[in-house]
Amino acid sequence: MASITRSPRRWKEWLTGWAFVFPAVALFAVMGVYTIGSGLALSFASWNGFTPEWIWVGLENYADLLWADPSLAPGVRRAAWNTLQVCVAVPLLTVLISLPLAMTLNSVRRLRGLLRSVYFLPYVTTGIATYYAWRYLLEPEGSINLMLRSVGLGSLAQPQGWLANPSTALWTLIFILVWSAVPTATLLYLTGLQAIDPSMVEAARIDGAGPRQVLWRIIVPLLTPMTTGIVLLGVRDSLHGFQIFQIMTLGGPGGHTNVLALETYELAFFKGLAPTLGLSSALGWLLFVAAVLLTLANARLLRRVR
Amino acid sequence: MASMKARILSLAAAATLAVAGCSSGGGGPQGEPAASGQAITMWTFKQSHATALQKAAEKFTADTGISVKIEAVTPDDVFKSKIQSAAQTGDLPDVLEAHAAGEDLELGASGLLADISGDVNDAWRARFLPSTTNAGVLDQGRIDRAASDSPFKTAKAGSMYAVPFTAGAFGIVYANKEKLTAAGLDPDTPPASWEEFVAALKTSTEKDPQGGGLSLGLKVSQVGFNWIYQPLAHAYLGKEKFQGLFGKDTTAGFGSPDGVKTLDVYSQITPYWMPGATTLGIDEADIAFAQGKSAYNVGGTFTLAFLAQNGMSPDKVLTFPIPPSAAGAHKDIVMAPLALTSLGVTATSKNKAAALKWLDYVTSPAGAGLVAKESLDLPATDLGAEAATLMGPELAALQKYFTGAPESTYDAGDTTFFPGGYDQVKPGDAFVRLSPLKELDPAQAGKELDAIFGAMWKSAE
Repeated sequence: MASITRSPRRWKEWLTGWAFVFPAVALFAVMGVYTIGSGLALSFASWNGFTPEWIWVGLENYADLLWADPSLAPGVRRAAWNTLQVCVAVPLLTVLISLPLAMTLNSVRRLRGLLRSVYFLPYVTTGIATYYAWRYLLEPEGSINLMLRSVGLGSLAQPQGWLANPSTALWTLIFILVWSAVPTATLLYLTGLQAIDPSMVEAARIDGAGPRQVLWRIIVPLLTPMTTGIVLLGVRDSLHGFQIFQIMTLGGPGGHTNVLALETYELAFFKGLAPTLGLSSALGWLLFVAAVLLTLANARLLRRVR
Repeated sequence: MASMKARILSLAAAATLAVAGCSSGGGGPQGEPAASGQAITMWTFKQSHATALQKAAEKFTADTGISVKIEAVTPDDVFKSKIQSAAQTGDLPDVLEAHAAGEDLELGASGLLADISGDVNDAWRARFLPSTTNAGVLDQGRIDRAASDSPFKTAKAGSMYAVPFTAGAFGIVYANKEKLTAAGLDPDTPPASWEEFVAALKTSTEKDPQGGGLSLGLKVSQVGFNWIYQPLAHAYLGKEKFQGLFGKDTTAGFGSPDGVKTLDVYSQITPYWMPGATTLGIDEADIAFAQGKSAYNVGGTFTLAFLAQNGMSPDKVLTFPIPPSAAGAHKDIVMAPLALTSLGVTATSKNKAAALKWLDYVTSPAGAGLVAKESLDLPATDLGAEAATLMGPELAALQKYFTGAPESTYDAGDTTFFPGGYDQVKPGDAFVRLSPLKELDPAQAGKELDAIFGAMWKSAE
């Protein structure tokens, strides 16, 4: 009824408003809604990307990935276990490293700007180039083995390289992911630390709180929103990121570093043009569901901590 | 009158010459004639082919007036996604180079490549190495073995979607002559057996523990399985028992006494892989060999070109196929050449006649020889006695591994005994766990491989 009684001036405002938001809405409709909808529909179909028609298979792709296809499901389960390890380890280690680092940087008086730049450097240079650089460092004759041997820790060196040993490959990749994530996390924590009212810390100290109590009772609770953000970013990157796995190990050696995101990519592009795009899409949606569940669980956990 | 006759004759001769100039190979495409001044486009996924094809295109244009624009789209995943999007928007080129006997058939059965069976006549087909001739033909066996959702199921048996372009064989060992000499090994005589090869590896590794081993891009886990194990096991067991390893009946599978024995023979090379072999891709392993980080390298006939591109002169390497075990059924290994890449005309091409003419030229002895010489990649066209002249001596020398006793011939292109939807990565991972990782012994690996192939048979059903 309101639109019927709208005055000409209100109509003009209404149209002007829509004219402003239309480009964004149209863009989202095409790039967002359409692609998401199309991707979801594809997960219920079999298609190789070339045929004009999709073959509808219902929930078969999901069943094949989870249990029904004996040549597919065990590999997906192994990749899921590796993904879980990455998902837990990367956010946890990122928080454990970046929080103390941020607190140290926050308390440093001299060369603070320079130190911040140094610690932020991995973020600036992060990406595919750094993964290649890390590969050189991790080679059998790379700098890391060389350094270990030169300081008398040759027994820790990996004669086949850090990525060729099944027991070190996944954790080496986790370490590099953490190394990439720490700069942003440290910056976020620094921002959070600088937003804490110094008088609160001062008051706690006057009341007799020691440094540990100040940390656990004042600082950590006040930084919970930052921690939530950092953990969510870590979980997201761990679930979706496959570049590092593709460039550095391709899931190897012997499938020991295969993760779900890499499996999704391989199903889409490296199955000899077989009609596996639907399977790839279904795995992508399973990853999405896992991401939502992990986010909800994480948010709930951190709310309880707070 | 005489002058009129002479004029007519000279016109006829000129016309004949013009036609002969356009039809290079003798076979020639059937169908509509291509007009001079036309322009066609071609995509290839191989950077090393682009320059060579461009040179061939210049000659082709000079002969026919048809210009060809070559575009390299790499790597493979980018090539595939570009074809996908171009197919949706109707922007496909006129000609595509694809992986032979697989991708080309998928593209054809999906409606992207035209069926050219009526255009490629017998004379044209007779140009190719016999084992490659039908690489682009979809036969009934392949349709029967395909999964129910495969586009093959709706395609017509006998359709020809591509003509073979390059050919070659896997399982070719490259040895660094300088390193062999340094290790006291004969740089000109290949090992006669697998056991001699393993002994030579032991010698070169003892002489140079860091740079005397064997390189292979085991990051792509299936290469050890495909390029070393399969020819080795084929020679060890003979064709029938070898094919039985992959069958539904696991009593003759990898876990059988024969199967375990072949895995045991394969795993003899475990101590001699170059350090970090499982972290190297195929190209990276070749580069490592060219840089002197290994004494031996396993590749295909196509590896020679890549080594040359990376600064290793072909005369510095000794080449030989994977040697057979002295305890095996065959004392010789012959590699049947298989089509590696093929050329197809897109179904949407508006220049089909010109595109076919281009295919005719690049698969003719003159065109194929020109491309081979430039790219150092063996052609699927049989160049016969002119091979050395057209391709150069080193490349032609690789062809000697293609001929020999039929019973010793290992044909990597024969996929008739694999389960439908065969995925080589899974057995490849098991092979990496056997060697070099040593996580499985031969008996355990046999059991795991039987489980993997059993699952593939089951899911194919």
